[in-house]
Amino acid sequence: MAQIFPKWTNSLPGKIALSGGILVILLVAGIWYYWSPWFTDVGYAPQQPVPYSHKLHVGELGLDCRYCHVGVEVSPVAMVPPTQTCMNCHTLIKPESEKLAPVRESWEKGTPLHWVRIHKVPDYAYFDHSAHLRAGVGCESCHGDIAAMEVVSLDKPLSMGWCLECHRNPDQHLRPQEAITVMGWQPPDDQPARAAAIKSSLKLNPPETCSGCHR
Amino acid sequence: MKNRLPVATSHKKEYWLSRRDRDNTPEYQVLVRNEFVTEPPDARGIDRRSFLGIMGASMALAGLTSCRRPEDHIVPYVSRPEDITPGNSLHYATSMPLGTESEALLVETREGRPFKIMGNALASPIGNSASVWAHASILGLYDPDRSMHALRTGEASTVGAFADFWKIRREEFVKNAGEGLVLLTESFASPTLSRLLELFTTTFPKAMVVTHEAVSDRAILDGHALAFGTPLVADYDFGAVDVLLALDADVFGTERGAFEHARAFTRGRAVDEDAKRMNRFYLAESGLTQSAAMADHRLRVAASRIPAVLAALARELAANGVAVPGELLGKLPAPKDVDAAWISAVAKDLAAHRGRSLLVAGRGQHASVHAVVAALNHALGNTGATVRYVAPRHTRFADDAALPALMTALKESKVQMLLMLGGNPVFTMPADLEFRTALESAGSSVHCSLAVDETSSACTWHLPRRHYLESWGDVSFADGRLGVIQPLIAPLFDDGIADAQLLSLLCTGTLDKDGDIVRATWKALSDDAWRSLLHDGSRMEDIPPVAPAPNNAAVAAAVETKHFNQSAPSRGDMEVVFRLSPTVHDGRFANNAWLQEFPDPVTKLTWDNAALMSRATAEALGLKDGDLVRIKVGGRETPMPVWMMPGQAEYSITVLLGYGRRKAGRVGSGVGFNAYRIRGTKYPYVARGARVSPPFGTHALACVQDHHGLDTERMAREGVRERVPMLLREGTIEEYRKDPHFAEHIVHMPQLRSMWKEHEYGDNPQWGMSIDLNACIGCGACTIACQSENNIPVVGKEQVLNGREMHWIRIDRYYKGDEDEPGVRVMPVACHHCEMAPCEQVCPVAATTHDEEGLNVMTYNRCIGTRYCSNNCPYKVRRFNFLNYTGKLPEIMKSAQNPDVSVRFRGVMEKCTYCTQRIERGKIAAKLDGRALKDGDVQSACQQACPTQAISFGDILDRGSAVAKAKESPRNYALLGELNLRPRTTFLAKIRNPNPALEDKRPV
Repeated sequence: MAQIFPKWTNSLPGKIALSGGILVILLVAGIWYYWSPWFTDVGYAPQQPVPYSHKLHVGELGLDCRYCHVGVEVSPVAMVPPTQTCMNCHTLIKPESEKLAPVRESWEKGTPLHWVRIHKVPDYAYFDHSAHLRAGVGCESCHGDIAAMEVVSLDKPLSMGWCLECHRNPDQHLRPQEAITVMGWQPPDDQPARAAAIKSSLKLNPPETCSGCHR
Repeated sequence: MKNRLPVATSHKKEYWLSRRDRDNTPEYQVLVRNEFVTEPPDARGIDRRSFLGIMGASMALAGLTSCRRPEDHIVPYVSRPEDITPGNSLHYATSMPLGTESEALLVETREGRPFKIMGNALASPIGNSASVWAHASILGLYDPDRSMHALRTGEASTVGAFADFWKIRREEFVKNAGEGLVLLTESFASPTLSRLLELFTTTFPKAMVVTHEAVSDRAILDGHALAFGTPLVADYDFGAVDVLLALDADVFGTERGAFEHARAFTRGRAVDEDAKRMNRFYLAESGLTQSAAMADHRLRVAASRIPAVLAALARELAANGVAVPGELLGKLPAPKDVDAAWISAVAKDLAAHRGRSLLVAGRGQHASVHAVVAALNHALGNTGATVRYVAPRHTRFADDAALPALMTALKESKVQMLLMLGGNPVFTMPADLEFRTALESAGSSVHCSLAVDETSSACTWHLPRRHYLESWGDVSFADGRLGVIQPLIAPLFDDGIADAQLLSLLCTGTLDKDGDIVRATWKALSDDAWRSLLHDGSRMEDIPPVAPAPNNAAVAAAVETKHFNQSAPSRGDMEVVFRLSPTVHDGRFANNAWLQEFPDPVTKLTWDNAALMSRATAEALGLKDGDLVRIKVGGRETPMPVWMMPGQAEYSITVLLGYGRRKAGRVGSGVGFNAYRIRGTKYPYVARGARVSPPFGTHALACVQDHHGLDTERMAREGVRERVPMLLREGTIEEYRKDPHFAEHIVHMPQLRSMWKEHEYGDNPQWGMSIDLNACIGCGACTIACQSENNIPVVGKEQVLNGREMHWIRIDRYYKGDEDEPGVRVMPVACHHCEMAPCEQVCPVAATTHDEEGLNVMTYNRCIGTRYCSNNCPYKVRRFNFLNYTGKLPEIMKSAQNPDVSVRFRGVMEKCTYCTQRIERGKIAAKLDGRALKDGDVQSACQQACPTQAISFGDILDRGSAVAKAKESPRNYALLGELNLRPRTTFLAKIRNPNPALEDKRPV
């Protein structure tokens, strides 16, 4: 009797199993990456009403974050600066710059600027800037190296899993208070010991239960 | 399934929530077992096809919205106000005027938006506590039905147009000295308004000024005028009282100064501090009021028979050696059919506590009753000890006697212009005056009110009134404090006028700024002193003490023998008692949804009032709960549903005022029944000769007390079950002195061991709460404060009938003993934050879990709405969002919500969180200060709101904290402690101080 299936079909089950396996792995890996905030959110850099350059102001001129984001040490929100803060300098420096036209218009008309929000956690997550700063978590840990950004983009996924990683093991992110706003900070060699000292002196106990962030 | 646990046979309970509960009717068994009353009506009537359609559409929409991240904007200030840090709250002092009574308040604002009200401890004797009305007034500010512009004969106009109109008319009235001009005001206590009113009378000397208030202390003032020659206000010191007798007076509920009195009085029963001292409270009243929960003995007596009780008491006092004036005794009758034993025992007790006792009569009693009470207080040596009298300052009281003259002037068309400052006289005037008809005879009429109400719509002009949270003003308190009202927000609507502004406009013809007008009143204060007044909220100004002796002859002359010897009401001559609503007040808060849904402290009715009558009376009349009847008094009638109330005097019907508004707004219009329709000038509070028609229909009443019942019978098997029902534990002071730990010993508790793994907490603070049942008066301020703090939705009457009310704190009101002569007990119940929480064990998605500080937390975004947790909760404190209650809220009302708390969506379970947002804020604030958390850093909203400090909350591991100390009290016990759930909220047993002479006879 003639064979129904040619000989090459003998290896077919193995190939199907193999390619099926690869497909599943690709699918899982694909979903893992492409559906995660690392892909969907990180890198979000919308166009802002004013092409404000953090690279220029922070990186080159050396402005401290807290010059503009005043409330960050005492309030849950970091506060985007009022138009007045811009005008403190820009009435004298580059008062005619075209790029600053929306700022001048806002100041003259008393209408606020509408900045596009980049760093966003869901409404039911109550992140508190002041608590994190007080604990020694630098701005950079969540916002990335702002001083190098011409246009600010989202550097970290700000997802719950990502938050919890640090809450479970914050050692690499605990800085001395004077280095809170420093960009490009590298943990020293004895960071574990330093982190332990910060944790014990401030009685740090990062919450890992729901009520820490959700209300 | 049905009979797996043995069901106890019908038995009478000692403590019962309702008759159904006491008799354990099959209806109640269904209710308590199924938790929810009916099938969800919204699930009915949706067929498969439309369900699939809706689901398909939702899926498509969900898919579309998730495609792209929505663009969100940050809108910073252009120029940041100096004090405002976005994200942090600021608190400002202000005062809420409410007739002649005011409350000193602290208002929490975020970025210039007020959202939470509390008492101002710097300016108020009750600390951070405030009444339900004050707490709910934040919702009144954001009421979408407030009028946004003036109306002239129903057409849109402006306040500016009215000012122009008035300027011309004013010239005429100045020329004729105000002939034909009438000013009808609300009552008030305010230096600025008093100053302007004086200016008004000097500008228009012939103008008529009348003050009307639906419910006022007029009779008390008249009584004191009889006794002392001038209308003095009584300023009580309840802290010094050992024996209190209240006659038809809801002293801890709706009477003047109730909260201050309650706090002072409960200090006199802090038995853990001093077991020797405990005050005693006798209450004589016609129907149960909130104060009954505090009473040690209660006499059920018709309100019209209170004078007779007083007459008998005066005789008994004289018999016990009290120097009751002879002329008074000569005039007072000797009523026969009063409860002689009760009165004699009370008289003996009062006589034994001269100078440390107090008699108080309610505002509904006749002036002569108040005169006699003042004379008896004097005879008992209480004047200057427990009561002092002060001359009211800057105060304009209701002026009922002037109303007939006003009506005559109106009917004779002598009124060219009627100016009405606030109030809603068309709704609240006694029916026999027929004010609505007479109003049309006025040449023109002007009414200033928050919304277009019954009066506004009948007037030529309506002026939109500024809410107190957006205007300047001031208030005067009876104890000598003067308070300030400062705006918390710029006026929400462009058009509007503040009270001071309007009165000033009427006097001067110019529209000045209200801030300037108020500051002018206080011009004697330097700018620094003014600023500190704005910071503190009030300043004390000593008022000269008045220690008058009553003119006994005048008091005796005022006593009408007939009035003091009235017969008991009967079927043909029934009594109707009109009371101020503890929720919607005189009707002014009818459009406030929080207050409409707030259960009445005693009846536990929501969204309605009813004709409250005793069971015997209802049965004699052939009526049952919910029957609609017509109540007829003095030739007028009003429909009213019947509600049988334990403890109600026979043939005495209590009706609450303030319901049945026609033009209140989208919430309050058509809710309840208008009792003003049968109220007359001659009988504003107690009417006799009432009749009740046969029933002509039925009306569903939404009573919440049988909802969320504790199913104690099926909670456990024998052995445990016998111990479970001791929900509310109490003892007498004698029992307490003998065995302070009596509450623990009420049941024998074997060693309890848990089958669950214990939590490991580490060194975090451990939150706990203690509720002192000996101090709780059941007012419900905690419920509303919690609603405001935690964005708790309102569900509406239909959903309340389905058992779906959302309040996180319910106050269980128990009756004790006999239906006719019941005792009343109250017990606030919210989530107990059990350490071995049964809800956590059954949640399939771990949406309710335990945190490291002992909180039983609810993660809304995980919740899939199985309701297993609620089913497994023995305390029945979990609340489920059956519908999206907040989705349809008008935009403006969202401003009343707390930005620190998530707004919950349909399908999500919620419950008390111990104000976790405040805990987090408190912990972070302490961290920022670089210090450890200390007791008092975190206060829950309910704890703050409690007028008697019955609730303590804090870290139970901190030995010095108030809550740890409270839990060490021998009176400490856990509700359903036998279940070994180890609740973090525990109770302190109630202590009563019965009079041994009465205890056997009539335990309460």
